[in-house]
Amino acid sequence: MQSFRKPLSGVEHPQMDADVVIVGGGPAGLACALRLSQLIDEHNAKNPESPLTKENISVLEKAREAGQHCLSGALLDPRAMRELLPGFEREAPLDAEVKKEGVYFLTQKGKWKLPITPPPLQDHGNYVISINRFAKWLAKKVEDAGITIFNGFAGSELLLEGQAVTGVRTEDKGVDKNNQPKSNFEPGYDVRSKITIFAEGARGSLTKQLINRFNLQANRNPQTYGVGVKELWEIPEGRVAKGEVIYTLGWPLTRAEYGGAWIYGIDGRQISLGLVFGLGYNDPRTDAQHALQSFKTHPFVAALLEGGKMERYGAKSFPYGGWFSIPALAGDGWMIIGDSASFLNSQRLKGIHLAIKSGMLAAEAAYHALAAQKFGVTQLSEYPRAVENSWIKKELWPVRNFHQGFEKGFVRGLFHAGLQQLTGGRGLYKKYPSHPDYAQMKRLEKLPAEDPSRAAILGPARREGNLTFDKITDVYYSGTKHEEDQPSHLVIHDTNICNQRCVKEFGNPCQNFCPANVYEMVENPELPGAKQIHLNPSNCVHCKTCDIVDPYEIVTWVPPEGGGGPNYDGM
Amino acid sequence: MSAPGAILVITEQRDGKLNRVSYETIAAAQKIAAHTGCSVEAVVMGADVSSAANEIAAKKLAKVYQIQSPSLEQYTADGYVAALKPFLLEKSPSLVLFPHTYQVRDFAPKLALALDRPVISDVVGYKYESGKLIFTRQMFQGKFAADVSFTGEPPYFATVQAGSFRADQAENGPAPVPIETVNAAVENTSIRVKSHEIYKEAKQAVDLTQAEIIVSVGRGIKEQKNVDIAAKLAEALGGELAASRPICDAGWLPIERQIGSSGQTVSPRLYIALGISGAIQHLVGMKGSRSIIAVNKDPEAPIFDIADVAVIGNLLEIVPALTEEVKKAKAEA
Repeated sequence: MQSFRKPLSGVEHPQMDADVVIVGGGPAGLACALRLSQLIDEHNAKNPESPLTKENISVLEKAREAGQHCLSGALLDPRAMRELLPGFEREAPLDAEVKKEGVYFLTQKGKWKLPITPPPLQDHGNYVISINRFAKWLAKKVEDAGITIFNGFAGSELLLEGQAVTGVRTEDKGVDKNNQPKSNFEPGYDVRSKITIFAEGARGSLTKQLINRFNLQANRNPQTYGVGVKELWEIPEGRVAKGEVIYTLGWPLTRAEYGGAWIYGIDGRQISLGLVFGLGYNDPRTDAQHALQSFKTHPFVAALLEGGKMERYGAKSFPYGGWFSIPALAGDGWMIIGDSASFLNSQRLKGIHLAIKSGMLAAEAAYHALAAQKFGVTQLSEYPRAVENSWIKKELWPVRNFHQGFEKGFVRGLFHAGLQQLTGGRGLYKKYPSHPDYAQMKRLEKLPAEDPSRAAILGPARREGNLTFDKITDVYYSGTKHEEDQPSHLVIHDTNICNQRCVKEFGNPCQNFCPANVYEMVENPELPGAKQIHLNPSNCVHCKTCDIVDPYEIVTWVPPEGGGGPNYDGM
Repeated sequence: MSAPGAILVITEQRDGKLNRVSYETIAAAQKIAAHTGCSVEAVVMGADVSSAANEIAAKKLAKVYQIQSPSLEQYTADGYVAALKPFLLEKSPSLVLFPHTYQVRDFAPKLALALDRPVISDVVGYKYESGKLIFTRQMFQGKFAADVSFTGEPPYFATVQAGSFRADQAENGPAPVPIETVNAAVENTSIRVKSHEIYKEAKQAVDLTQAEIIVSVGRGIKEQKNVDIAAKLAEALGGELAASRPICDAGWLPIERQIGSSGQTVSPRLYIALGISGAIQHLVGMKGSRSIIAVNKDPEAPIFDIADVAVIGNLLEIVPALTEEVKKAKAEA
C-alpha cells in the first residue's frame, strides 16, 4: 500500500529565529538575497552606530546545491543583472552572446523560414546561458556576501499567526515509506521569520498554500502554465554556431497546442534543445516528452543531431498567465517573487530577468522593513508598488492579454495577437479571461475523431537508436535521485478516483503529462483485467505538472526529503 | 626473509574463509608483478588462521604470512593497525594492496596515517607506463575514472574494488608456498573498541556484490507468488536472488536485493534476468556481469541489447524447466 507524505504528529520541532527567510534558491531568491546584502552593506557604511546584521537572513534550497533544480532554455536578457551587478558580464558564466537567429515553421517533413524574426523573438544582445551554472555562480556570490544558503532543506509548511506569516517549517528528514520515523529521523525546523519571501518557482508548494489560504488570486485571472522539456546534446562541430538561436513553430505541435521548440548553440558543439507548450490542452493523451522525441525526428533537426549524443534531460513547468495572473504580492510578513508570482513574459518566453528584478524590488522593501522594524502589509506593500512603477510592468503590460488570446487555438490566437499589437496590448477586451489548465482537459468521449497528424505528441514515445528515447531512459539522464525509503511526495488524495473514474473518463493522463514516469497504471493482482495506479516518486523531476493539470485536482506536490530531485548539471 | 620491494596483499577472512575480492586482489598483484618483476606475498590475519593460510598458499606467491594474536580474534581497527604497522615497517614492501571492503575502509586510512603514507582507494585498474605504476580509480559515483600515481617513498597503499579483477585469474603455484607465522604483539589495552557479535542489519542481509550467480526478477514475473519460481532456480544454481525496482517497490523482495541505479551494482559471473525489460536504470547496475541470460516475452526488450543469451518466451514455463535441468545436471556431476 502506498503511503503519502504528511506531517508527523506529536513531534517537537526545533525553533530557529530569522529576520528574513527566502524559500527557494533560484534566480529570484538569490538575486533577492544579494540585493538585500548590498543594501545592508550600504546601510552599515552610512550608519555605523545602528548596523543591521545579515546573520539572520537565510535562503532555503531543497536541492543538494543551489542550481541543481533550475531548468530553462536558457536565454538571459541582461537588463536586471546589469542593475544588480554592473559589469556582471565579465565574471558570470555566460556561454555566448546571441549572434544569429532564425524562426522556422515546420510541417512533418518540410520547413520554411520566416523572412524576418518577429520582434518578440529577437534576441540580439541576450546571452545563451546554463541556468544551472548561472544560479551556482549567483549562489556563491550570496554566500560570499555572508548570507547562509541551507542546501537540502525545503519549506514544507507555513507558520501562521492569524493573518500573518511568521515563517516556514522545513521538511522532516528520515521518515520511512510508511510515515514512520527512521533511526536517522530529524524533525523539520520551525524557522520563525519576520519576513518570509516565497521564491519557489512555478507552482511553489508553499506559495500555493498561501494563495489558497488568503485568496490571493481574487479578482485576478487564474494562473495558467506551460511545460518545457529539454535535452542537452553534444553534436559534431559546425552545425549550430555558438550563440545561434533557432525557434520553430508547427510540427510536431498542431493548431490545438500553444507552443514551439528551440535550439540554442552553446559552444559550437553543445546545444540546448527543447519544446514547450501550454498545459491548457484538451487531449488527455498529450505527452510533452513524446513531442520532444518527435521534434528530433524532423529531417531538419535529425540532420543536426546525427552522430551526436544526448547528455542530459529535464522538464519544468512555468507560468504563462502574465500580468493579470499575478497574485497579491505582499501581506503581513510575506512577499512572493519570481515564477511563483507569475513574472514571465509569455510572448518572449523569458522570465529570468523579471525574476531577478522582482527579487531586487522585494529586497528593497525588506530592507526598509528591517530598518523600520515594521513587517505588516502596509510596510511590505512597498514591493507591489515598486513593481507597478518598474520596467516589469512596462514589459508585461503590453503583453497582458497575449497568452489568453491563444486559449481557443493557434489561429484565433494569431488573430488576437495581431489585434493586440495594434491596440497596445488591449485587443478585443480590456482583460482577456483565462481558465485553469486542469479545467481544459476533455474526457475521452468528447475528443474529436482521431486525427493522425496528432499521433506524434500522443501517448508514449519509443526509443529509436540514439535519436529518440522512451521516457524512462530520459529520466535516467535527468540524474534524479531520492531517498527511496520515504513516503510518496506526490500526494493523491483519493486513488479510487484514479482506478475507477479517471481510467474511464480521461484514460489516466498522469501517465502522459508526467514527463518523468512517476505515474503508471499497473495490473491489479486482485482484480484480473483491472488496472491500478502505481507511483514511482523517486523518478520525480520536480516539474509540478501533475499538481497543475490533473483534471480532478487530487494530486498535490509536496517537497520530498531535502536533497532529492534532479541533477541539472549544465542545464 | 622477505625481499624488500615485494607486493604485499592483505587478505580478509571471516571464520577462516577468505572472501572473493581477496582473490581478486591477489590476481591484481600477480598482474602488476608481471610488469614490475616484484614478488607477491600475502597476509592472513586472525587468532588462528592456518586453514585460510593453507588455502591461499596454493596460489602463485612467494610467501604467505599468517599474522596471529588472540587479540585479533575479532576484527578491530586498533588491533589490525597495531599488528600491521611494525610488520610493514620491518618488511618494507613496495606496494600494499587491500581488497576494498567495509573492513578495509575502516582500518586502511588509520594504518596509512600511522605510517604517514598515502592510500589510493577504490582502484578499478592500473597501467604500467615507462616504469611508473598508475592506478585508475572511480570518482563521482563511477561517473569519472581518474588516473593517479604515488609520490614520495614506498610503501604505497591501494585498495582494489570488487569485480575489477577476476578471482579465477589468481594463478595457482606449482606447489604450496611456505607459510611463515608472525606472532603479533598486540596489547589488549591498545584496543579501545570492543566488538560485539557480528550481526547483519536487515538492510545488509545480503551482499549481492559478492555473489557469483544472480537470478534477478522483474515485472514480467507478474505475481508475488511467482517469485518463488525464480528463488528455486537461484537455489538450484547456488546463486542469490535479486530484482529490478518494481519488484522491491511492491515489497515482493526487500529493497537490499534491488539491482540498479537506486540499488546495488553487481558484476557476477552469471546474471539471469527474468522478465526484466532492461531500463537503463537497471542496466547500469548489472552490465558488468560476465555472462547475461535474459528471458523476456517482448523481443524488443532493451535487455536483449546486452544479453549474451536471449530467450524469448514465457518465463513461467521456461524457468521451472530450467531449474529441473540444473538439478539433473548437478546430480550427475
